[in-house]
Amino acid sequence: MLRRMRRTRAHTALAALGATALALSGCGTGADDDGEAGGELTIGTMTMPQSLDPAEAMGAALPFFQAVYDTLLLREPDGSYAPMLATDWSYDESRTELQLELRDDVTFTDGTPFDAEAVQANLERFPEAGGGQAQTLSDLEEVEIVDDHDVVIHLEQPNPALLFYLSDAAGLMANPNALDDDTLATEPDGTGPYELDTGNTAIGSTWAYTRSDDYWGEDLPYDEVTITVFDNENALVNGLRTGQINSALIQEVDQQDVVADDEDLHTVDQDIDMQSLLLFDREGEMNPALGDTEVRQALNYALDREAMLEHLRSGQGEITNQIFGPESVAYDPELDTYYDHDPERARELLAEAGHEDGVELTLPKMQEIVGDPLATSIENDLGDVGIDVTWDNLDEGDAIQSIMVEQAYPGMVMNNAQPASEWVTIVELVLPGTFNFLGTMDDTIAERTAEIQQAPEGEAADAAQELNRHLVEEAWFVPFYRMTYQHVTDDSVEVEPQSGMAVPSLYNYSPLD
Amino acid sequence: MSGTATSATTPATFLRRIIGNVQALLSLLVLLVILTLVALAPLVAGPDPTSADLSSAFGGPEPGHPLGFDSSGRDMWSRLLHGGQLTLGGAALALAVALTLGVPTGLAAGFYGGWFDLVSGWWVNLIMALPAMVVLLASRAVLGSTVWVLMVVLGILVSPSFFRLVRGTVANMRAEPYVDAARVFGLRDSRIIARHVLIVVRAPIIIQTALVAGLAINLQAGLEFLGIGSGDAPTWGAMLNEAFTNIHQNPLGMLWPGLALGLTSGSLVLLASALRDVLEDRDDQPHTSGPGEHPREADTPTTPRHAGARSELLSVRDLTITYPGADSRPNKVVRGVDLDVHPGEILGLVGESGSGKTQTAFSILGLLPAGGRVSRGSIRIGGTEVVGANERTLRRLRGRTVAYVPQEPMNNLDPSFTIGDHLVEPLCATARMPRSAAWKYARELLHQVEITDPDRILRSYPHQISGGMAQRVLIAGALSCSAELVIADEPTTALDVTVQAEVLGLLRRLRASRGMAVLLVSHDLGVVADLCDRVAVLHRGRIVEVGTTEQVLTAPESTHAQELRNAVLDDVPARQPWSPREVDAQ
Amino acid sequence: MINFVLRRVASGLVLMVVISVLTFGLLSIPDTDVGRHLLGPAAPQEHVDAHNASLGLDQPIWVRYLDWATAALQGDLGRSWFTSEDVSTTLANRIPVTLSLMLGVTLVTAVVSFTLGVWAGVRRGLVDRLVQVLAVVGYALPGFLITLVIVLVFAVQLGWFPAIGYTALTDSPTGWLATVTLPILSLSIPAIAGVTQQVRSAVIDVLHRDYIRTLRTRGLSSPRIVFRHVLRNAATPALTVLGLQFVGLLGGAVIVEQIFGLPGVGAMTVQYTVRGDIPMIMGVVMTTVIVVVVANLLVDVLIGWLNPKARVS
Repeated sequence: MLRRMRRTRAHTALAALGATALALSGCGTGADDDGEAGGELTIGTMTMPQSLDPAEAMGAALPFFQAVYDTLLLREPDGSYAPMLATDWSYDESRTELQLELRDDVTFTDGTPFDAEAVQANLERFPEAGGGQAQTLSDLEEVEIVDDHDVVIHLEQPNPALLFYLSDAAGLMANPNALDDDTLATEPDGTGPYELDTGNTAIGSTWAYTRSDDYWGEDLPYDEVTITVFDNENALVNGLRTGQINSALIQEVDQQDVVADDEDLHTVDQDIDMQSLLLFDREGEMNPALGDTEVRQALNYALDREAMLEHLRSGQGEITNQIFGPESVAYDPELDTYYDHDPERARELLAEAGHEDGVELTLPKMQEIVGDPLATSIENDLGDVGIDVTWDNLDEGDAIQSIMVEQAYPGMVMNNAQPASEWVTIVELVLPGTFNFLGTMDDTIAERTAEIQQAPEGEAADAAQELNRHLVEEAWFVPFYRMTYQHVTDDSVEVEPQSGMAVPSLYNYSPLD
Repeated sequence: MSGTATSATTPATFLRRIIGNVQALLSLLVLLVILTLVALAPLVAGPDPTSADLSSAFGGPEPGHPLGFDSSGRDMWSRLLHGGQLTLGGAALALAVALTLGVPTGLAAGFYGGWFDLVSGWWVNLIMALPAMVVLLASRAVLGSTVWVLMVVLGILVSPSFFRLVRGTVANMRAEPYVDAARVFGLRDSRIIARHVLIVVRAPIIIQTALVAGLAINLQAGLEFLGIGSGDAPTWGAMLNEAFTNIHQNPLGMLWPGLALGLTSGSLVLLASALRDVLEDRDDQPHTSGPGEHPREADTPTTPRHAGARSELLSVRDLTITYPGADSRPNKVVRGVDLDVHPGEILGLVGESGSGKTQTAFSILGLLPAGGRVSRGSIRIGGTEVVGANERTLRRLRGRTVAYVPQEPMNNLDPSFTIGDHLVEPLCATARMPRSAAWKYARELLHQVEITDPDRILRSYPHQISGGMAQRVLIAGALSCSAELVIADEPTTALDVTVQAEVLGLLRRLRASRGMAVLLVSHDLGVVADLCDRVAVLHRGRIVEVGTTEQVLTAPESTHAQELRNAVLDDVPARQPWSPREVDAQ
Repeated sequence: MINFVLRRVASGLVLMVVISVLTFGLLSIPDTDVGRHLLGPAAPQEHVDAHNASLGLDQPIWVRYLDWATAALQGDLGRSWFTSEDVSTTLANRIPVTLSLMLGVTLVTAVVSFTLGVWAGVRRGLVDRLVQVLAVVGYALPGFLITLVIVLVFAVQLGWFPAIGYTALTDSPTGWLATVTLPILSLSIPAIAGVTQQVRSAVIDVLHRDYIRTLRTRGLSSPRIVFRHVLRNAATPALTVLGLQFVGLLGGAVIVEQIFGLPGVGAMTVQYTVRGDIPMIMGVVMTTVIVVVVANLLVDVLIGWLNPKARVS
């Protein structure tokens, strides 16, 4: 009701300016279609895709791709898999061969059929094309074409997250005829429910999609979808409040407060990102002290997580000591509170390890992740037990460079998503690679991860829980808490969060009755 | 745009005037308090600005923490003062860089001109065309993300404003004869710059400095907002930005840094504008007033103490002109003057500089400079009382009954209009002549003032004609609406000797052909002797003698008239203090 | 006149070349690993190297510059390293947004500043004080603060205007007006504060000139003198300042575009520069230089038209 009054006044103001009609195009009209199917959906976001070429897709920008491409598998909001371009799938005994049965009624816009050859071309290109997620298919040996609508994916070794990947960036299927050109980046060519409306799209700020007339599947509820990128949440919230944006993810506590004050806005909470101090140097190569388990445990005991959560996030979240989220089989509720806030114990542990005189720790500080309050609270808590923290200010531009490539720091504060698939987390955080660039390993971890790798996803629960407990006990990480983010919608749209993802899939939006 | 009367300002009078200006004093005081607190931060701030206690985040004021705490639980008062060191220090650095780069180059470019002017001008264009944001960000990536780097770059980016200011002012004065004179006398350039040039550019630089300081402080805050800031060092901008991200949890957090920023840059602007008034206002120079500054508190004409027979054309009785003095005691520059000018008569009004003759002339035109007023007496032109008359009455008299020929011809023509416009506009507006007729008549007028190629002159702009020609044009302008009385204020002083004679001859001939009366204001008895029927001698605001020219010049009664007469022999035209002129008056 | 314009255009071209060299160099100095930044921490080094090579980053800097310059001369500004968007297309989309703001602000500023400045300079007294107060407020408040308050009041609370977004003039003139009104208002306040001061100062200066008094003795009315003679003579310094303001708006637009979520050139500048997206930033820089050169040229031509003396020099 309130919103209607506001819009009426907008008309008056414009009339006063000598204008005759309110004709906001683009992102202005989102709220005009209260709940009726066939309207327009405007999503605001702060993440933008580098390109619309599936080979360069990243999970956080997936909705931009889901509009124009379909994935082989559909990942439901709860994280389970459903048929999409592939109608059926099965592993062999060794779990290195995945057989996929494909739909036979799908064609690309130029008439090229979607078939086994298309799958082969896409999948084999993905790890080679050098996109940000290319390593997710690094185990791919070959894609064998059985017949027009059956393929077998051969892996060098089992990968329990393969289905996840096939429902994510790696599973996006583009027209095989377009794969060799550079055009996909700006002229996507897929089988998806929408087409990119290049006339109304301004890459870098607004992507406009219109319904594809002959979509093979069930139509999504909106005729038009616009995804607009902003660089601050203040603008997002203003847009939500004026009805110019239908839905957006709000992460900052202060903006969440604003949303809470606006009765017209609806929110769905989701604990997505775990914020933690990721340690890289568990063998003490850069900072010998970190090679001592006691020191890493002391770090965990030193932090007053309750106070941090209360003051930094207004209590919006859950404290935790583990890297796996509640949707994962590896999750163990006990491990959320394995380390109490116990400065005394921390000092004892440091003394046991021979660091009575204290430990020095230099960490990178990126304003986007580590604000002053977080930095000072970590500095104070650790300083309390004799760990002297120095923050190095890094710009967004050279952060990855100096942390990952020059390997200049023994750890960093980071926000990581907690997907349902434990293997995704293991690959990202535990196994040698991205966040374990020094390649640290121990026997327990090697054995448990091997066990998990051999089993179907989610079925090696015991091994996963053992691994998790081991990582917590060995204090490989210093997790703080899972942060509550809010999916905010106006009164016309309903959104269902996507398990383990900050950004809901495009399929999760529907008109609110 | 630059200062006019600055050369007369010594540091002492400058200080005195600042103290006399409430606005300047107050804003200086505020700045001084802020600067002192910031400078003494280590002593008065209390806790360490970086020491934080998360449990007191957003806490209100408490003993020892007068302003409460920020989102990290750091003491706001301490951060405000320490932040001030970076903020104000940064602004000072930016200014220092801008001044160092802009002023010397501007001086040199303006003074010497030539290739240096060309090259530096090109560089300045280059700096101004640089995309500031990109340069700031890129330099930050190269040089490091501290306030100091940003401020040095900002200093470079704003240095063109100083360069242009200084160059413009200096180039303008460079054309002045006295600078040439100083060179002829063998003064070294450095000395000329120090003694003459710096004094002229001083005021504009001070004003610009105050403005740029405010700009630098606000820009820094803006950069913080964009996340291009000082890292975790406290600055007012960083504090404001931090408070903004928590504005809903702690709305008061924006108050203090906002106030510090606002007070500082606000005071700087106020100071700049007060300085402009103090340093640049020409209130001590008798010039004309703006239209809004007319004697609104219209002085009513007073009954003359001795009426006598009043001339029907111009009759001045008991005229007293007052200016507000130093300590607001009225300062009478003309006292009890009686004058009559009869139709067709030329009356010389003589006296040395400062005797009040020009003031008398302006009061007759109803155009006393700002602050001046007729405090007593009566002025009648053609039977109409001028003292206390409204704008409309005065306007009806001006042009048609009484006209004016100024002293300095070049300064009295609007540089943006052609000579034709100058002559035609009053004809259309005052004499209600149709435009084409006015053009024809203007041509005729130029003929009358003995200009041989009127068509070329009509099309010319003032800077394209000589001083003598300009004076003829001004005389033509005075004649245009057939005024019965022309007030000529030293009409030949600014002209060289041969032109002087021509103009005097012209005036004489015009009087003969048109029968108009002239009130000739002059300090030059030679001119008076040449032209006038009668002479009135003014000394220190009083008429000391009136009589026929012959009588006054050959047998003066008053000592002042005698002195004046004796002085004629070694008379040197008195020069006005320097003021920037657009063009040389030949 | 034509000669003058041609000379200025030529010097503008030289300026473009020099600035392109300077900024290209400046942007290339920080040794950011673009490929790594693009592909993220997880990508294997050979992919990163291959990506860098495909961007030409394995070449020495002068080769890279020459490659860029040769392509640019042929009208090809390249593609963004980070979003693959065509630089020319992006600029064509974004420049109208920023230019809308700049022209709008300049127009509003010119009208309001000249009105207020002339009024204050001629009337002095109370009006003058008010204008001074306005100037102080405009100067004293950081621009982003003014903008934030304006959005909250006029868009979010009162709902009179959209809070975010931009509608192209060609799509809907009224929509365009609605989306640019508040941004223009936000940017105009500080600009008006500055320019009004200049106009006022120039007007007072002109009013003190001898020729104004002489014009008065010709029987001309005050309004006539103010609007014909004072305004024209005061316009020269005021136009110079207005021109500087216009150029300064290129920077000022950054914050306003962010707050209003406007897809203009300003909003992208920060992000793309921080990332080191050289093709895109070079495109922005070249556009900026063109805008600055054209703006300065226009100001000079305008001043020459108003002020005959400026024509000879």
